[in-house]
Amino acid sequence: MNEMKKEIRIKLKNRAIAMALEPVQKRTTSATIGVIAFTLAAETYAIESVFVREVYPLKDFTPLPGVPSYIFGIINVRGQILPVVDLKKFFNLPEKGLGDLNRVIILYDDQMEFGILADVVHGTQDIELEDILTVPPTVTGIGEEYLKGVTKERLIVLNAKRLLSDKSIVVNEEAN
Amino acid sequence: MDKKDKEFLKRIQETFRIEAEEHLHAFSAGLIELEKTPSKEKVAEIIEVMFREIHSLKGAARSVDQKDIEYVCQPLESIFSSLKRGEITLSPLSFDLFYKTVEWLSKHIVISGSEQTDVFRQTRQELINRLKEMVSGKYFSTLIQEPSATDIEIPCLPQSDITPVTEPGVDLQGNIANTQVVMARIPMSKLDPLLFQAEEMIQAKMAINQQTGELKRLSDELNEWKTETQKWRSRKAAATPELWNELCDNSDMRLNKVEGRITEIISSMERHQHSLDRLVNDHLDAMKQVLMLPVGSLVETFPGMVRKISHEQNKEIDFIISGTELEIDKRILEELKDPLIHLIRNSIDHGIGKPQERILKNKPVRGNITLAFAAKESGQVEITLADDGKGIDKEHILKAAIKSGIISNEYAGKLEPKEVLNLIYQSGVSTSSIITDISGHGLGLSIVQEKVLKLNGKISVESEENAGTTFRILLPMTLATFRGILVMLQEFMFILPTTNVERVMKVEKEDIKTVENHETIRIDDQIISVADLGEVLGLPEHKHAGQGKMEPGSANSNQIRIVVLVSGEDRIAFKVDDLVDEQQVLVKGLGKLLRRVRNISGATILGSGKVVPVLNIPDLMKSAVKTKERKSEVSAGVLFVPKPGKILVAEDSITSRTLIKNILETAGYQVTTSVDGADAFTKARTGDFDIIVSDVDMPKMNGFELTAKIRSDKKLNEIPVVLVTALESREDCEHGIEVGADAYIIKSSFDQTNLLEIIKKLI
Repeated sequence: MNEMKKEIRIKLKNRAIAMALEPVQKRTTSATIGVIAFTLAAETYAIESVFVREVYPLKDFTPLPGVPSYIFGIINVRGQILPVVDLKKFFNLPEKGLGDLNRVIILYDDQMEFGILADVVHGTQDIELEDILTVPPTVTGIGEEYLKGVTKERLIVLNAKRLLSDKSIVVNEEAN
Repeated sequence: MDKKDKEFLKRIQETFRIEAEEHLHAFSAGLIELEKTPSKEKVAEIIEVMFREIHSLKGAARSVDQKDIEYVCQPLESIFSSLKRGEITLSPLSFDLFYKTVEWLSKHIVISGSEQTDVFRQTRQELINRLKEMVSGKYFSTLIQEPSATDIEIPCLPQSDITPVTEPGVDLQGNIANTQVVMARIPMSKLDPLLFQAEEMIQAKMAINQQTGELKRLSDELNEWKTETQKWRSRKAAATPELWNELCDNSDMRLNKVEGRITEIISSMERHQHSLDRLVNDHLDAMKQVLMLPVGSLVETFPGMVRKISHEQNKEIDFIISGTELEIDKRILEELKDPLIHLIRNSIDHGIGKPQERILKNKPVRGNITLAFAAKESGQVEITLADDGKGIDKEHILKAAIKSGIISNEYAGKLEPKEVLNLIYQSGVSTSSIITDISGHGLGLSIVQEKVLKLNGKISVESEENAGTTFRILLPMTLATFRGILVMLQEFMFILPTTNVERVMKVEKEDIKTVENHETIRIDDQIISVADLGEVLGLPEHKHAGQGKMEPGSANSNQIRIVVLVSGEDRIAFKVDDLVDEQQVLVKGLGKLLRRVRNISGATILGSGKVVPVLNIPDLMKSAVKTKERKSEVSAGVLFVPKPGKILVAEDSITSRTLIKNILETAGYQVTTSVDGADAFTKARTGDFDIIVSDVDMPKMNGFELTAKIRSDKKLNEIPVVLVTALESREDCEHGIEVGADAYIIKSSFDQTNLLEIIKKLI
């Protein structure tokens, strides 16, 4: 008798779990990219997750004297020293708000590696390539070359590859 | 040939290349030895070794079907066989051919049959012919009669780039060049301790695991105790003297137990820390030993280079190297290569004159260049490069220096001969009156000096007209473990490399004298420039450095801390706020994004995890001079007048805190920061502020609580409070006004002017 009760309970439980799951949406045939969405000064951006090594909490940082203003500072990521870039400054965006700035998204490819500042990181999601629309730079204030486009939800998709390979972001100063 | 065969062939060729390089290396070393004209017995010994090397190379070449190498080795082997039997003797000119042969061999040990060009075949044949002539004894007579006609044109090394044997830049067959690895020979006796130490580290790892376990158990115990205490608390109402005693006993027992364990853990950790200290130090030492390579590995290509260049200029030069067995850190050797090549080229190019010139000056026809490496006491090596050439023309240097604006005309007259010589390190001053392909651009020596300084070495030059020039370089043999001095500037920390710090001291403010806008100080009867480290680095200027933490009423406020830094010949005293500590430092790079940052050479991570920049002293010296120049250009009229107003900022996020602080300081306010409401309240009570800017969401005491507390405090209730928050709800805003805040700014709509305007209105 007890056995049967147990069996019924298991069955009911499994059914409950199955029902609690969100229905899997039917994918269209269009290709998708995985992105990580984050907020920076009241705007929401997205960056391709293949170029993201990790998201790191910003606890402490060391500013450097004499570097361009978009270099926010350097941080210690488990013994590795990593520069952090303030994209707002790099893109010359107006200082729209003072965020919490407590996350660093670490971007990388085989040539380059650095962190970018973020207020809040919302997690990963898939975007269909079809949904990414190109927009004139006046909409975002960011140069076209750094953008993949904007989605219908006004998610600004940054071009991580371009950022990582950008020569103008590299600091290489001679001694006076 | 299928793929597998090809791969096999490639592998076997690579093996051959490495073996051949070793034979050639030993052969070149023999040549260098022979040129020093050692005793007869020694000569026989060296020739025997060289004979065996060339014989083995021939054999190896035959086994991988490298016929060209084999054919060239053949006559060379015969020569050495004849030398052994004493049938022929060596002359300076025969070395020429040997070096050319070695050069050709090292260049072509990777070429297999199909890639040969006509030029290649022709030079090979010429080499073989000349070697054969030498065996038959005809060589000398023919060479002296028509030196240029039989001169072999070797289509390889461009003169600006001498390629060492270990890095064959063979472009004739790029695909093989790509797969080649730079190799170093390390004796087994140096590797054994490394393995032993690595094994010992396993023990250290296990000890840490165990200690972590211990600490976790301790934490569990404390948790258990906590739960028990909770239980006691709930029985508080029923407390009786007996229960009270029981509680006390229980607590005592627990306390003793925990205390005992902590003592145990501490003593075990101390033991392990001790052995780990020793292990790490031993390992570092052993690793440094591995990196010590004989000087010979650096200089083996030099004789060939000297021959080639002197031939092109129709000069006759004997080049002698000594001290090749000395071992120096590989990283230093690598850095040394370019400077030495440059100095040697300089000697050939404008030191040693042409034979006719030398005869006119009663000098031997053959010029002499010696390169000597000698160990000095205190772990240093002295490198001396001397030639018996024309010497440096001091008049010419003075003219060049005046022309390029380095010194003024009148100043030139006052210079001592030694000071004139030191001008050669200035870029723009060339020691040569003619610019050639090789030298004369006036850039080289400044680069040489920079490299030597970078290695914490010293370079000096002596020169006498018509007698010759001697360069002396003094260098450490190992790269010392980096030690640094931690200094404070405002709230920033920096590391100064200890090797560049001559002394640290406290001086009276009056000791610093200002002469024509330049601050100077007299130390040990020498006048030294004084610079403000914060100013040179470009830190925001908000107080004068050097005064330490100003304690009001303290007699020390008149004292200034300075650090005297040296780099080469330069000495500058820098003002700093505070000296924290001297410690061993592991310098790391700043990441790929920050390829070169002015004044900063890297960063280190302190035991606390804090990242601290390491300063680049040669850069800093240059920046200090620049800052001075700028300062004397700007008239004293532009002075920064701070607006009145002291602001207390309460914010728990370090970034927001820093940003707000920067915005307010840029606007001219004096800013004090606090990390939460409680901290802010304490600071507000003890300090004297005109306004408080606070975040809402903070640990310990939030912004609403802080505001309420301030409003109910007799001393503080008049101070305006601005709340800055991420909370956007209307209720929160109302709540803020309810507790008595004067302004409420939402972070997402926050902008600088907004905050500044509000503050201006409220003060």
